[in-house]
Amino acid sequence: MFGLIGHSTSFSVAKKRAEQLGYMEHAKGDLDTWCSTPPQLLETFTVQSRTGKEISGAYIDSCFLPEMLPSRFKTAARKVQNAMAYAQKQGFSITALGGFTSIIFENFDLARFQKVRSTLLEWKRFTTGNTHTAWIICRQVEENAPRLGIALEKARVAVVGATGDIGTAVCHWLQQRTGVQQLLLVARHRGRLEVLQQELGDGSQILPLEQAVPEADVVVWVASLPKTVELNTSNLRRPCLMVDGGYPKNLDTRLHGPDLHVLKGGIVEFWRDIGWHMMQIAEMERPNHQMFACFAEAMLLEFEGWHTNFSWGRNNISLAAMEQIGQASVRHGFQALGLRDLVTTPVLSAS
Amino acid sequence: MSNSTTVPHPLASSADLVTPLPDFTSATYKDAYSRINGIVIEGEQEAHDNYQALARLLPEQAENLVQLARMEMKHKRGFQACGRNLKVEPDMDFAKRFFEPLRNNFQVARGEGKVATCLLIQAILIEAFSIAAYHIYIPVADPFARKVTEGVVKDEYLHLNYGQEWLKAHFDQVKEEIMAANKANLPLIKTMLDEVEKDAGQLQMEKESLIEDFLIGYQEALSDVGFTTRELIRMSAQGLS
Repeated sequence: MFGLIGHSTSFSVAKKRAEQLGYMEHAKGDLDTWCSTPPQLLETFTVQSRTGKEISGAYIDSCFLPEMLPSRFKTAARKVQNAMAYAQKQGFSITALGGFTSIIFENFDLARFQKVRSTLLEWKRFTTGNTHTAWIICRQVEENAPRLGIALEKARVAVVGATGDIGTAVCHWLQQRTGVQQLLLVARHRGRLEVLQQELGDGSQILPLEQAVPEADVVVWVASLPKTVELNTSNLRRPCLMVDGGYPKNLDTRLHGPDLHVLKGGIVEFWRDIGWHMMQIAEMERPNHQMFACFAEAMLLEFEGWHTNFSWGRNNISLAAMEQIGQASVRHGFQALGLRDLVTTPVLSAS
Repeated sequence: MSNSTTVPHPLASSADLVTPLPDFTSATYKDAYSRINGIVIEGEQEAHDNYQALARLLPEQAENLVQLARMEMKHKRGFQACGRNLKVEPDMDFAKRFFEPLRNNFQVARGEGKVATCLLIQAILIEAFSIAAYHIYIPVADPFARKVTEGVVKDEYLHLNYGQEWLKAHFDQVKEEIMAANKANLPLIKTMLDEVEKDAGQLQMEKESLIEDFLIGYQEALSDVGFTTRELIRMSAQGLS
């Protein structure tokens, strides 16, 4: 059995969901109530691969809420640890850390705290799902840019959050497997950026966000657009493809305009409906067969019997692993979410 | 997934998760410790008395229960030594008053021969709460108390398990009684927590994590007994919201 650890996208969404489920005390409760609520197994379900194989899984709501950050960071960390301990106690072979939970694990370096009460966490039972997410984001670029008339071999692709786990993997893949003309690297940490740029060589350039985005034909966001930054959309290149792989996925509320295409990044569609309700919490457009690619990674590991922490730690994603998980993804019936309602444009030139 | 705006910088944040140890010799610490130490000593005494009482209610289980009671007395002596080690006089008057409502409920149930209620109060509620509190205390305890508490916590799991097994075996007959006992007694845990919130804070034990850890143990035990997730969420919310 596999597990998925998730959370509501906001306090108000969580309260609404609690009301729908009939948990009125939580629906009426304040943030303190949620801060001391333990993780809950909300749903179990079965998933059938295109190969015919059927597996069972469960969704655990960690009861973490984005409103707990940044001031209640101890609470946030505890929520992730408790949900992991819970998943392990349930005996799940592999569990994906969804939404903010893998970010919290990484940023607070929770690997230092392997023991949660009487449970010694076994890391091999968990995955961040980042390898599959990185692969899906790359597929989204490769499949959708040409549909907009952007030829990737002539395109400049900005990666915002380039030095993170997913960002680094995306950069290496786009350079080596997709062959984009130039990568524009954006991140906060100058030292890490320089290391990445040295690895990537001539086809890459370090730029500040405000400069990189207007120069790019494709922008891959694996970090959110900071609230304090306003981008003038009239300066952006057209057509422009934006893959919103940050969390939460709200870029389309801030950047819109003619021939500016924002695609929710790191989202996959399954070949058939799944009888679950949990993706309504994540506000998926088609919650019965759409999900985060990181969740899908746990399913893939279960389908394949690869009971190991396939994605773990920072910057350990190899292109071979991306290829491996990508092939499994296709085999079992996942596909990357694409732009809808588009008449495919013949590829001309991006510059 | 990645986000740059809301999560604090890794290096800044990682250090903050480790709570610095309090000054065990300060007057403020000792003052708070006198009440907390009193509570754990009294708690172990009550547990001893309660298991003795349960042994009389369940003669066929008497041997096991008397053994559990003996263990609680050993724990009591351990915690008395912790107080002496810090040169703190436990406030036993406060501790006796602190346990009074829960003790009264136990005694009423015992008088009525309600085994399930007695087990819920002692073997599930109090044990789950003790385990949560001891786990949270261990990382911020003085070295002597840490060693003692680590030993105690291992035993307490056995006690939790004992109540769990009995209630599970009789679940169909006692489900309603457990739900009623939960409704009557869980709010007392909340009141008791509120009462010691400040003192526990002096010992670097946060109320929020005490409640969450307690609920984890409590729900886990009751889930094993036979309650569904839906029932458990409602039962937990009844007392603590």
